[in-house]
Amino acid sequence: MSLVARNALIALGITIVLVGTVAYSINYLNRARIAELSAIEDQLSIDTISLDTQFSLLEAAPCDSNASSTTLTSELADFGNRLSYAEGQLGSDDAQVIRLKEQYSLLEIRDYLLTRKIAEACGTKPVTVLYFYSNAGDCPDCDKAGYALSYLRNTYPALRVYSFDYNLDLGALRTLITVTKVRNSLPAFVINGKHSYGFTSLGDLEKQFPKGALATSTSVL
Amino acid sequence: MSPEMLAYPFLFIAIFFESFVLVTLLSKPARAARARARREALPSVAVIVPCWNEAATVAATCNSLLALDYPKEKLEVVLVDDGSTDATPTEMQRFAGHPQVRIVRKENGGKHTALNAGIAQTRAHLVGCLDADSFVEPDALREIIACFDDPKVMAATAAMSVHRPGNMLQYMQNAEYSFGITLRHAFASINGLYVTPGPFSFYRREIVEKLGGFRYGHQTEDMEMALRIQQAGYGIENAPKARVYTQAPATVTGLVKQRTRWTSGFLRNILGEYRGLIGSRRHSGLGMLVLPIALVAISSGIGLFLLMLFLSVERMIAALEIRAGIPLSYALLPHGTFDWFYFPVNFYLSLAVVVLLTSITLIAIGKRISKTPGNIAFGLISYTFLYGFIVPIWLIRATSDVVFGKRRNWRY
Repeated sequence: MSLVARNALIALGITIVLVGTVAYSINYLNRARIAELSAIEDQLSIDTISLDTQFSLLEAAPCDSNASSTTLTSELADFGNRLSYAEGQLGSDDAQVIRLKEQYSLLEIRDYLLTRKIAEACGTKPVTVLYFYSNAGDCPDCDKAGYALSYLRNTYPALRVYSFDYNLDLGALRTLITVTKVRNSLPAFVINGKHSYGFTSLGDLEKQFPKGALATSTSVL
Repeated sequence: MSPEMLAYPFLFIAIFFESFVLVTLLSKPARAARARARREALPSVAVIVPCWNEAATVAATCNSLLALDYPKEKLEVVLVDDGSTDATPTEMQRFAGHPQVRIVRKENGGKHTALNAGIAQTRAHLVGCLDADSFVEPDALREIIACFDDPKVMAATAAMSVHRPGNMLQYMQNAEYSFGITLRHAFASINGLYVTPGPFSFYRREIVEKLGGFRYGHQTEDMEMALRIQQAGYGIENAPKARVYTQAPATVTGLVKQRTRWTSGFLRNILGEYRGLIGSRRHSGLGMLVLPIALVAISSGIGLFLLMLFLSVERMIAALEIRAGIPLSYALLPHGTFDWFYFPVNFYLSLAVVVLLTSITLIAIGKRISKTPGNIAFGLISYTFLYGFIVPIWLIRATSDVVFGKRRNWRY
């Protein structure tokens, strides 16, 4: 075998090893991300159930308790951000991403229900937004709507934004969509029970909020 | 399929090529070349200095040749004035009485005619060329002479560096030249050299005469001659410790002009008269590997740049669209926490980092094997952050010139 052929074969071997190592490392990192998300998700599950149970135990005087879902909502938002990033890295059809999205959606629904329950019991008026999006390529304005909601959530920390992938095949989510009567015209918003569809600008979205809600939006508990 | 996937084959080939260079450097022929002993019996040598309007540097170039560590009776310098219109003739006249220097004046006819005119003046066994903007280390000639111990070797090249780099662009070129030292050293081990650069390349006079002297080579006469030597089945060696310093363009415009000439000359020679070398099993190192990869490097340089440009513009437009109407105080600031979770690493970028790190290693190796003095840190920084953005300019320009048949003047 000539020197050139021998060296080329060795170089090919080295290249395959290097590219394989890079691919393995990227995969390892992405799996580590998923593992972290699973750990966060487990903790959030426990926190949600704990809060729910705490609320039930103190049903007689729920408003006097220290039970609060505000911190939980903020943790839920952080989890959502991480999940969105992981989805960008691994793809929306990754099985583990889908599983985590389903669990995340369940946690969001539970938190939404809990917030409504506390509001009814204590007479508070939290501003809640149910936001339905799609990343199947059929919603060109969803990215803009998502960014505008991130801005609003960042500016008004007491605002409760719950994001749902409209196409996610999850029974509870399908029921929520049925109950709230949200059409498949995305992006869709349910702001304190009022429906709106499409996104044109931040200003138009802000007009959908109850008068003064954003300016006075503070912690509900 | 994501657009990034288009880059994967190019990145794979780049890693393969750099691995091949590293493996070849460790091979027996390369190790033997590095350990090559200098000759005791020295042949007669003539160095031709073709000049066209080189008044600013010709005297220093000539002085550096006269300072070579070589028996004076065996070294002659032939200064060829190729019809200069500046003070070059006056500068040359300072050496008129020197016993080792001959001065030739002729009508302007191009570098190849100047080289031929110089060669016609000598009967030396070896003839070399030194561009009039280059300077040599005193031991450079002895290093090069040792390459001719092998009777199959008909030409030998030196190790080039930038003469006194003064700005980031020149430091970048200095790093690139170090890379070139490594590549030439590796390519020489498999007889894959396709250029004998103007700064201090040497030839057996007999082969130059046998092959008919220098020709117009699409403004790259040094490349044309090397390809002709290769086509004839001879060998071209490299002396990695023969240090020569050349002046590098100080502006992006100057650099792009110079490299457009080199790249278009390469394409015209390779895709024209010397097309038969591509894929030639007889010229295995050159034909099966070096030339095909050089062509792939040009197309991948353009392809990757256009891909990067497309992705950057696409993402910028998407980012602007998403942020439209959002207060700048929020839209312009980064959000989120510094967390490993968000570390932006992906397959495409990681492969690009592997290519870059290997390139830096090859640059460092070039500096080490040539024992080139000076700090290369600035060069590595500018190479890392500048090179990838400037190279595509001359690649696109040169390719477009070749495709549309556009010819540019050497100095314009």
